[in-house]
Amino acid sequence: MSDAWTRKLRAVHGLMMVNGFIPLHRRPLALVAILSTPFSFLFFIYIFGHAQALLAGCIGGLIFTVINSATMLQSDLLFFKIDLKFQQIAVSSGISPLNYVIGMASGNMLFMLPGLVFFMTMIVYLTPLTVIAGIMIVATVLVTWLMFSLISYLISTRIREMKDIWPVSVIFSILFAVIPPIYYSVESLPLPYRYVAYAVPTTFSALIIKNSVSLNLAGALIYFAIFAAEAAAVIIITYLFADWRTGRS
Amino acid sequence: MPDPIVVSELSKSYVNGSRSTVALDSFSFRGNRNMILSLLGRNGSGKTTFAKIATTQLMPDSGDVYLNGTSVIDEPEEIRATISLVPQEGRPFGHLTPREHVYYYQRMIGETREKASTITEMIIEELDIESFQNTQCVNLSGGQKQTTMLAMALSKDAETYFLDEPTIGLDVITRKRVWEVIERIRRERKMVILTTHYLDEASVLSDEICIVSHGRLVSQGTLNDLRSRLGHDTRIRFSTRVDEKIVSSMGTLVDDEKGQILLTESGNVEEVLKTVGYMNGRIEIGPVGLDDVFVSMVGEDIDE
Ligand SMILES: Nc1ncnc2c1ncn2[C@@H]1O[C@H](COP(=O)(O)OP(=O)(O)OP(=O)(O)O)[C@@H](O)[C@H]1O
Ligand SMILES: [Mg+2]
Repeated sequence: MSDAWTRKLRAVHGLMMVNGFIPLHRRPLALVAILSTPFSFLFFIYIFGHAQALLAGCIGGLIFTVINSATMLQSDLLFFKIDLKFQQIAVSSGISPLNYVIGMASGNMLFMLPGLVFFMTMIVYLTPLTVIAGIMIVATVLVTWLMFSLISYLISTRIREMKDIWPVSVIFSILFAVIPPIYYSVESLPLPYRYVAYAVPTTFSALIIKNSVSLNLAGALIYFAIFAAEAAAVIIITYLFADWRTGRS
Repeated sequence: MPDPIVVSELSKSYVNGSRSTVALDSFSFRGNRNMILSLLGRNGSGKTTFAKIATTQLMPDSGDVYLNGTSVIDEPEEIRATISLVPQEGRPFGHLTPREHVYYYQRMIGETREKASTITEMIIEELDIESFQNTQCVNLSGGQKQTTMLAMALSKDAETYFLDEPTIGLDVITRKRVWEVIERIRRERKMVILTTHYLDEASVLSDEICIVSHGRLVSQGTLNDLRSRLGHDTRIRFSTRVDEKIVSSMGTLVDDEKGQILLTESGNVEEVLKTVGYMNGRIEIGPVGLDDVFVSMVGEDIDE
């Protein structure tokens, strides 16, 4: 591996330790927090919908866990930027914004890992999942994670006071995880709202996973193509509008 | 060889809604050799804004900074490999220990495990922070946290160090330790740009001093240069008020928290004493210091 790549990996690994492994090890409560909402939803779904609804609860839980982790990333990034002033050190030390986000988000991923493993195991148990369909689901989770980590980063660079993040985070998780059709089917929405739902990337995450578990791979791939295009758009928007080094503050 | 630092006509205004604040206004200075160069100025005079621009965090409206001939505007990547920063009002992460701060910072900037460990060991010993190196930072005192920030920044092998109020809240002994490290860095022919409100620190450490006011350079030189530009070499401090009319012809009278100070020439001392009387020993005479230079150069707008 080239020297430049080794150095990039060290940056990502260092951030992952600092924002993930060490805090997880010393203050594990955040782990419980990240899992609490998807598990509560699963519980309610089980009570009201019984076993048939369990699969929907697990698919929704998979996506919800990712969004929760991205929401947590917003406050982590702001904490490092505003409270610690660590982002100033990162910028001036030549850690690239991409490595910074990936490192910080990977730290966060450790917190969502138990949830992902649980929901994934449940899905495998509840459905006749093939290897290809499994890979499809893992890829979807990864792209969702990357996409929403970038959105969280973009938001964090535009906010200048710690306290201003909480309303944003609440709206973020309602908008991307609670309202869109991740626990229910998009077809159950009346038409004009269905188009609105299609504008939300998590709708596609859910569609890909639902099509994968029902082994409709062609359908899953079509949705994945649209989803990948959305991810590309997010990457471009983040690149253009994130405030890593600018004239603002 | 290009100069280690050239700051050229730097201007920067912060715009928030319809409000615009001028932070730097054609700010320029030059450091023609590697040394400790201090930036002194009142709160809000633009020092941190300058440090942010020079460390590639903030874009100026116009102007540029060149470090060893490289532009911070055009070649930020090259610059970032050669600088280190202690940001103003930074603090360490409570879950980590000081040792972990230095070690993982070294890893983040690309060092191998072995090298990161060796460097960590060295800086911890040099700053004499072994006793709390393995304590989580939540459990440290304010000064111990600040020392952790310094340990991180000073652990980087840079060409130019930007230290923005690095010794704030440190006790006298720790501060001296930090001074020793800064002096070691100077001996290694590196540039240190130091911002501080501790004028004793600036006097002891600085090879040159830049006085900044309202985003502009007021004066630059060695402590002696600045002293001589003041036009006076002696300060006489009166602990009670004296009649301005009598002494103002013999120098510049400035207010002091406990009385008044007359900046004058050593040749005038006798006459001053004769004029005001000896006041039962409530007079102190000494050479002018950096605080006199500072107050007379930037203090005119104190009551604004
Ligand atoms: N993010 C910002 N938005 C708007 N104005 C700002 C911002 N940061 C600084 N300023 C203004 O710019 C001017 C220069 O600020 P700066 O922080 O550079 O001063 P300083 O010399 O470092 O002061 P201090 O000694 O208090 O640290 C001040 O008038 C300040 O109010
Ligand atoms: Mg400042």
